[in-house]
Amino acid sequence: MKKNVLLFCLFFVLLLSFGCSDGGKVKEDEEQVELLVSAAASLTDVLTELKEEYEKDHKNTSITFNFGSSGKLAAQIEQGAPADLFLSASAKDMDNMNDKGLIDEPSRIDFTQNSLVLISNKDSTIDLNSFEKIDSAKIDHLAIGEPESVPVGRYTKEVFEHLGLWEPLQSKLVMGSDVRQVLTHVEMGNADLGIVYASDALISDKVKVLAKADTEWHEPIVYPGAIVDSSRHKEEAQEFLDYLMSADGKLQLEKFGFK
Amino acid sequence: MTNGDYTPLLLSLKVAAISTSIVFVAGVFFAYLFAKKQFFGKSIIESFFMLPLVLPPTVVGFGLLVLFGKKGWIGSWLIEWFDFQVVFTWIGAVIASIVVSFPLMYQSAVAAFESLDKKFENVARTMGASEWRVFWTVAFPLAWPGLLAGLVLSFARGLGEFGATLMLAGYIPGKTDTIPMAIYFAVESGQMEKATFWVIIIVALGFSTIMWLNWWSKRNMRRFSNDVKRR
Amino acid sequence: MLKVHINKQLFHYDLEVDFTATSEIIVLFGPSGSGKTTILNSIAGLCQPDSGEISLNDQLFYGDKNGSLPTRERNIGYLFQDYALFPHMTVEKNIRYGVKKKGTELNLILEKLLDVLGIRHLLSKYPHQVSGGEKQRVALARALATEPSILLLDEPLSALDSETRTECQNELIRLHELWKIPFIIVTHDMDEAKKLGDRILFLEKGTIIKTTACNR
Repeated sequence: MKKNVLLFCLFFVLLLSFGCSDGGKVKEDEEQVELLVSAAASLTDVLTELKEEYEKDHKNTSITFNFGSSGKLAAQIEQGAPADLFLSASAKDMDNMNDKGLIDEPSRIDFTQNSLVLISNKDSTIDLNSFEKIDSAKIDHLAIGEPESVPVGRYTKEVFEHLGLWEPLQSKLVMGSDVRQVLTHVEMGNADLGIVYASDALISDKVKVLAKADTEWHEPIVYPGAIVDSSRHKEEAQEFLDYLMSADGKLQLEKFGFK
Repeated sequence: MTNGDYTPLLLSLKVAAISTSIVFVAGVFFAYLFAKKQFFGKSIIESFFMLPLVLPPTVVGFGLLVLFGKKGWIGSWLIEWFDFQVVFTWIGAVIASIVVSFPLMYQSAVAAFESLDKKFENVARTMGASEWRVFWTVAFPLAWPGLLAGLVLSFARGLGEFGATLMLAGYIPGKTDTIPMAIYFAVESGQMEKATFWVIIIVALGFSTIMWLNWWSKRNMRRFSNDVKRR
Repeated sequence: MLKVHINKQLFHYDLEVDFTATSEIIVLFGPSGSGKTTILNSIAGLCQPDSGEISLNDQLFYGDKNGSLPTRERNIGYLFQDYALFPHMTVEKNIRYGVKKKGTELNLILEKLLDVLGIRHLLSKYPHQVSGGEKQRVALARALATEPSILLLDEPLSALDSETRTECQNELIRLHELWKIPFIIVTHDMDEAKKLGDRILFLEKGTIIKTTACNR
């Protein structure tokens, strides 16, 4: 009796496994691919919107994002976290990844750019329309990213140094640990002025843009993207990267303050 | 390696000392009041006191910005009436320290007063002592070991406060850069030597305060426990 | 004269007692949980009866209409079961705690207490440095130093060994003869009750079931 039960079980298991592999063969052409994209936090809004559109046109691809600071994402991938595509906000992190052989080098491309803007609270009465006219005597606090550790702060410092404002503004600078904090200080009216990425200023309805920094004043703020070397879906990853570079993709990015 | 700039040390000590003094007085006051009386809503107020202990520091910091920001409920009032700004000043760091260390002081003080045998206060009352005198000559000195533990914990917590401080006081080098902020930004920007220097300083400070507390309370416990052994 | 007539609902039963005391030693005798300590605490004002009246001489301690006089204004002496000496004060500071004025007359009282109780050599010591019998004497001195109009004693001798106990019983009687105020003593030791009491009130579940006058 016992033997019979065992045999029956074995038969059942065999049948089950057969059935499965069989079904797999039939659907191979339309296999669902889950594309894992590690992307810089500043891309959150644009990518989330873009994803819907993209998945409509690419029925067999579903995209999962992992947003975070570029440095942390790079470290995750280095530790073996699964990812197909890496969209970074800093060339430095991408360079590091490249040096360690973690990305597919030929696929690397700067897919968009960001710019720096001078913002104030929406209700602010400050009359200012250019970076050069910032008068240290007329403001209490200017919020920026910490220049040594936050990318936006590094670019800001370059701008002020270029304009000869870094020293005069020293005592007015409030430094945030990320661009979000800089935005918060201006949104809540605690800092008179702030300097953030154009894309950040665009998504906040509590701030207004007073001026745009000339791209000549700082290193270009580029967003490099590349396929992760260990990816098993390189084809689909390339397809998504191409989409970002396409006219459709560019339009979406521009809508969110990128160019 | 710190360019001879010791402002973080002095600032941290100043902020922790002032906030601890305020927290001590307020914590002892509320604990003594609440340990003796039962009233409606007491547990709600106590939970509110404890809230900063469970909330993430950035949430506490955001809440403080809402209250003390230039447009905040209290902040706008302070500016209007006293032309006094809290946000982005070292006072902001004091307030952040107060809020996060108050629960520790309050909890220690409540425990200290609750473990106090009521007979000591009662016998003082039978001898004609006023409530004020009962507190200063009996309750306070007898609860002192517990109160001191709360004091030291509050000081250590105030010294190490970072998240809420960064939000409310901002990071303004030379003005609001406490030791934890100096460490954070040194680490983030890869200045490991500077970070190590400040880590050593803050570990030494925290370690010696707690060592001192342990030594002191052991010595003191001996005096009180003799009483028990004799019986 | 002390008049006590009180009602108070306790956990298991209703406390209802009615008695008076002149300058004598009254012993409240009964098993634990019979309400003895509650009576003392009511006289001291450390707990409140539900209704009734407590007065000492012409002073109303508690009345249904007048409410309760705060403990500190009742001018009583209270000796707790384990004496409750302040552990952080010297014997001298303990004894002087309730002393308000610093006249020569008062010093005389203190001197007399120190001599009668034989505790002068303990003045600079802390409570944990003196023996059980000595503690009891210090606590007595502390309670009497305020010149109370009544002395309440809650099982004052229960923590002592039998030899010290007899000694202290004699001392209590001697002190009472000197002070001439009502002493209310709570105990559950029959021999002690007989030895100390001018009158013994037998308590059971909150009521006085018997009163015995003793001839010492």
